[in-house]
Amino acid sequence: MPLDGKRICGPEGTKSPLLFIPKKQTNLLDDNRKRTDGRHAEDLRPLFLRLGINSQARGSAYIEMNRTKVVATVYGPREIQRRREFDMKGQLLCEFKFAPFSCKVRRQYQPDNEEKALSSVLRETLEPVVCLHKFPKSRVDIFVLVLENDGSALAAAITCAGAALVDAGIDMYDVVIGCGLRQDEATTLVDPVYEEEYRPEDNHQSGEHGNMVLGFMPLLQQVAALQCDGELQPKTVSAALGMLMESCYGIYSIVQECLTESLKNKLKKREKDVTKVIS
Amino acid sequence: ANTDVLVGVKAELDAPESSQPNRGRLEFFVDCTANADPEFEGRGGEDLALGISSALSQAFSSSNCLDLCSLCVLPGQQVWLLYVDVLILECGGSLLDAVSLAVKAALMNTKIPAVTVNTTEEGSSEIEVSDDPYDVNNLEVSKVPCIVTLTRVGHQFVVDATKEEQACSIGHLSVAVTESGSLTAVRKTGSGSLHPESILDILQTAQEIGINLNQQLVEKVKLESSVKKDRRGFLT
Amino acid sequence: MAGLELLSDQGFRLDGRRPHELRKIECRMGVFAQADGSAYIEQGNTKVLAAVYGPHEMRGSKSRGLHHKVLINCQYSMATFSTGERKRRPRGDRKSQEMTLHLKQTFEAAIMTQLYPRSQIDIFVEVLQADGGNYSTCVNAATLALVDAGIPLKDYVCACTTGFVNDTPMVDISFVEESLGGPQLTVAVLPKSEQIVLLEMASRLHVDYLNKVLKTAVKGCKDVYVILDEVVRNHVAQIASSVGSE
Repeated sequence: MPLDGKRICGPEGTKSPLLFIPKKQTNLLDDNRKRTDGRHAEDLRPLFLRLGINSQARGSAYIEMNRTKVVATVYGPREIQRRREFDMKGQLLCEFKFAPFSCKVRRQYQPDNEEKALSSVLRETLEPVVCLHKFPKSRVDIFVLVLENDGSALAAAITCAGAALVDAGIDMYDVVIGCGLRQDEATTLVDPVYEEEYRPEDNHQSGEHGNMVLGFMPLLQQVAALQCDGELQPKTVSAALGMLMESCYGIYSIVQECLTESLKNKLKKREKDVTKVIS
Repeated sequence: ANTDVLVGVKAELDAPESSQPNRGRLEFFVDCTANADPEFEGRGGEDLALGISSALSQAFSSSNCLDLCSLCVLPGQQVWLLYVDVLILECGGSLLDAVSLAVKAALMNTKIPAVTVNTTEEGSSEIEVSDDPYDVNNLEVSKVPCIVTLTRVGHQFVVDATKEEQACSIGHLSVAVTESGSLTAVRKTGSGSLHPESILDILQTAQEIGINLNQQLVEKVKLESSVKKDRRGFLT
Repeated sequence: MAGLELLSDQGFRLDGRRPHELRKIECRMGVFAQADGSAYIEQGNTKVLAAVYGPHEMRGSKSRGLHHKVLINCQYSMATFSTGERKRRPRGDRKSQEMTLHLKQTFEAAIMTQLYPRSQIDIFVEVLQADGGNYSTCVNAATLALVDAGIPLKDYVCACTTGFVNDTPMVDISFVEESLGGPQLTVAVLPKSEQIVLLEMASRLHVDYLNKVLKTAVKGCKDVYVILDEVVRNHVAQIASSVGSE
């Protein structure tokens, strides 16, 4: 653990107050088969997406799913300087970062192993989506910052990064939509919040359980990312996969609307600029 | 080319993580040695190493894989910390699969010394670790998964891909399967995408192969530990 | 020395050896198919793998290449599980860097470097289990790997670490003998010409004894040489017979 000189550390053996919060054993679904936040099992959270929130970047997007908030910015494509990395295909550089204040526990500024692993997952998700052959010898940088993590951060990041790439005008085969899922025995919860996501400190679970994240290209019907952990049977995974794909189509219709909206706004703005110049 | 992997497990007594006071800890460390590829010299292999260790942590993330509660000595104070150190000596394809097999074999072979906790008159506890090499406990490994990676070559999927096959392919799906056939992790790697229907096929195939692989590994390790050979390892 | 007696009155060491006896050396050449040359050696409980790549074109920046001789690139690393207490990093610490430098200097003296100008030879050694005499074992392993790779050497390089207890030099000391802090003399020689390519001493030793210890160490190196030479000859004979039978 790197020592943080900027803040006053407690004495040795200090424990985080969060540990003393009594753990409530709440059921994932109540008697009316509703979740803790009042949704049904297969309901998504309300989604807000806006493009072009950063004027400095070539493309950017902001996504909000209740309390999960993610910003993605895209720079490039720019030329690769070093000769060793020469490639006729374009390259992607992804950085996935949790803001220091985004989680219950403070995150360090330096990327930790989880963030590095998520960065490479994100890169492998976006590589099949982007037409890499269109920009040889160059690289596109994609930075994803999670402002608040209330579950399904990776799924939100995938959707957001895809939208930011669209905003940047990078050639793509399809948009990419991310969606998460939590399986707990027979219960399947789509788009889980932080409390619903599986934690290893949960006590021994006898039945099936696990988390899944899908990155999906809705028009081409291709899976760009699939991450699963826990303990599941292939049958459950395939059933969950079907459910996730359905949810992805749901998210896709919203994303599509946002994309056309932003394009219209862009065109309107350009028209205004043109008339300004003429007058 | 062959794929050669060496795994060492070391157990140390350490403080538990404060969020999980009564569970042992498991840490994976992967080192891609320059023996495998001169490109790995210095810090060149770190990205690959990180990818492998995160895949291992993902496969072991379910609390059922390894009974970490049995590794607790004094709740909140002392637990066993298992360092699983993976050394990659030669890579000729299907590295992750080979690593997971080696990790499982090493865990089967791991012996944790017996520990007795004595309470002194002042009420504090003293931990005594047995130094008898036969007074040891083995780990329960029946739920430890093996990873099966299916690689897309054209329209087909192959298991245990060679380096050349991997170079030609852009889509891989790694599935961690336990002896009973549960999947503890699935991850898509590589820069390609997969069709949902082929994923369902892959999962079925991976489960069959994984169950078989687990059984064969257990048999092989048992055979290996029962036969006394005068030359072992690299000398054979 | 309290507690442990390194040399008993009868003249036996802790592991039952006499002072001039080496540990059991077992080795194998050609362990890996991928490397140009490789070898594995066990000296008692010290186990080392060595791989050699090259001679090949300069990797990385071409400007590092030397116009009159080959560049020798070494890396010494220790498996994290090789020591009693787990090592946190396999390489990059001071000790490993020093070892790397020593290996480089040793083999610059032994390889016929002028034959391959503007090229590079990589020597990677990996300590799998450390039980004393790490440097010496690495040198012996690297020599075998270089022979396996077919790189022209002036001679074998054999190394031996020698301790000194009760006026008696002890060859090929183990970890326990090393850690009790007596003087240690590590020497790497070209056995035929008896040239010393590396000599290092730690701790304090009276100058009158130096010659005696050095002589014993060189004798130890020559003993190592006999073993290595036999291994190489067997290996070559084996290859020759398998080629002939085809």
